[in-house]
Amino acid sequence: MGAEVEHTPEAVGLRRTQKEATRARVLAAARELFDAEGYDGATIREIARRAGVAVGSVFTTFASKGEILSEVMQARLDPLYGEINRVMPHVRGSTVDRLRTLFAIHFEFENRHLRLFLAHIAAAYDWTLSPAARPYGRNPRLTAILRDTVEKGVTTGDVRPDVDLDEVVGLLLAAYAWTYQLAITQGAGVAELIAAMDRRIGVLAEGFSKRA
Amino acid sequence: MKHISPNQVAVDIPARAPTRRALAKQQTRLKVLAAARRLFSEQGYEGATIRDIAAAAGMSTGAVFANFTDKSDLFREIMTDDMEALLAAMRDAAARGRGVEDAVLKVFMAGYTFYKSRLQLARAAFSVSWDLEGGPVLRGLPSSLALQDVFGELLNAAVERGELSQEAEVKLRAQMLFDTYLSNFPQAIFEGWSLEALQTRARDQVRILLAGARRG
Repeated sequence: MGAEVEHTPEAVGLRRTQKEATRARVLAAARELFDAEGYDGATIREIARRAGVAVGSVFTTFASKGEILSEVMQARLDPLYGEINRVMPHVRGSTVDRLRTLFAIHFEFENRHLRLFLAHIAAAYDWTLSPAARPYGRNPRLTAILRDTVEKGVTTGDVRPDVDLDEVVGLLLAAYAWTYQLAITQGAGVAELIAAMDRRIGVLAEGFSKRA
Repeated sequence: MKHISPNQVAVDIPARAPTRRALAKQQTRLKVLAAARRLFSEQGYEGATIRDIAAAAGMSTGAVFANFTDKSDLFREIMTDDMEALLAAMRDAAARGRGVEDAVLKVFMAGYTFYKSRLQLARAAFSVSWDLEGGPVLRGLPSSLALQDVFGELLNAAVERGELSQEAEVKLRAQMLFDTYLSNFPQAIFEGWSLEALQTRARDQVRILLAGARRG
């Protein structure tokens, strides 16, 4: 009889709702924990404890803590890219100016939860993660928007057409991530991070800009 | 190089035959370090505990603490050993370079070759380096700073030779070269790149990073 009840549409719907509630609780707990403890310090056991769910039920939804972090970061991207899509069409100036604005928006957004973003970068160096995880550098939206920006520069004529745009995007991604080391080693605040990135974009621009 | 290596310091101390106790202590240290290296590789930095390391070395946690203040002390010691070996490999590679671009590329490749056999430990090191507490310590180790100096020295020598301009912004460029070198690790490993593929990519990167410094 129990089995019959379980299969009614209402029961299936309820189970799905419960599963989604668990998932939301796990993600909220994970976001807090990664922001407090960093990538290495956060454990699935502690995430489960904070979410008030069994460790086993975390594992039925996520394969690893890297996947949980990927989901947390993914959810953060919507507001960030909402802001970028709103602002970027109005940004005038050269490719370098546009890149600087783009990264400044990123720094201001991510610096509010610095440890969380550092955990996201750290996950990129955890090569035991499954390919489903999306640590820093494997976020297609950031890559796409950088690619669009430098491609547009080729069209408007300030980026050399013979330079490998994927390499330029890769170098920008690397510079952005590693600029955050200044937050770790020197306690750099958001203004210093933006200034440091501006200088790095300047150095890269010497390699990809058309000579005046 | 301005850094004084522990070996140089040792030379200045009058040689005395080590006592049996000193020898035993040295043996214990080496045993702990070997066990710790294995556990950090297998479990990562956070995953490895002093208790497990002691058990793997076949001794009590007390004996471990008699030799090392804590886990971070152990990790620092292992990292210092590795980075000194890596530094020697990178300096050697730098000396074999023909021109600054080739030398920088050879230094990159020396690093990737060195870590190919110890990726697990590199994973633990990267993880610590992105931690707000562990990061400054690891990044601030003399041997870690010396690795970055390899790039600075290459660029400075190129400025002196006239290969790069006087306004080459050596410090920033050296930092960016080092960061780029490190940032290639995930792709290299996740995507299983060969050393040849890495070299092709690194050459393009180095070219872009040095381009502005060439304009005299």
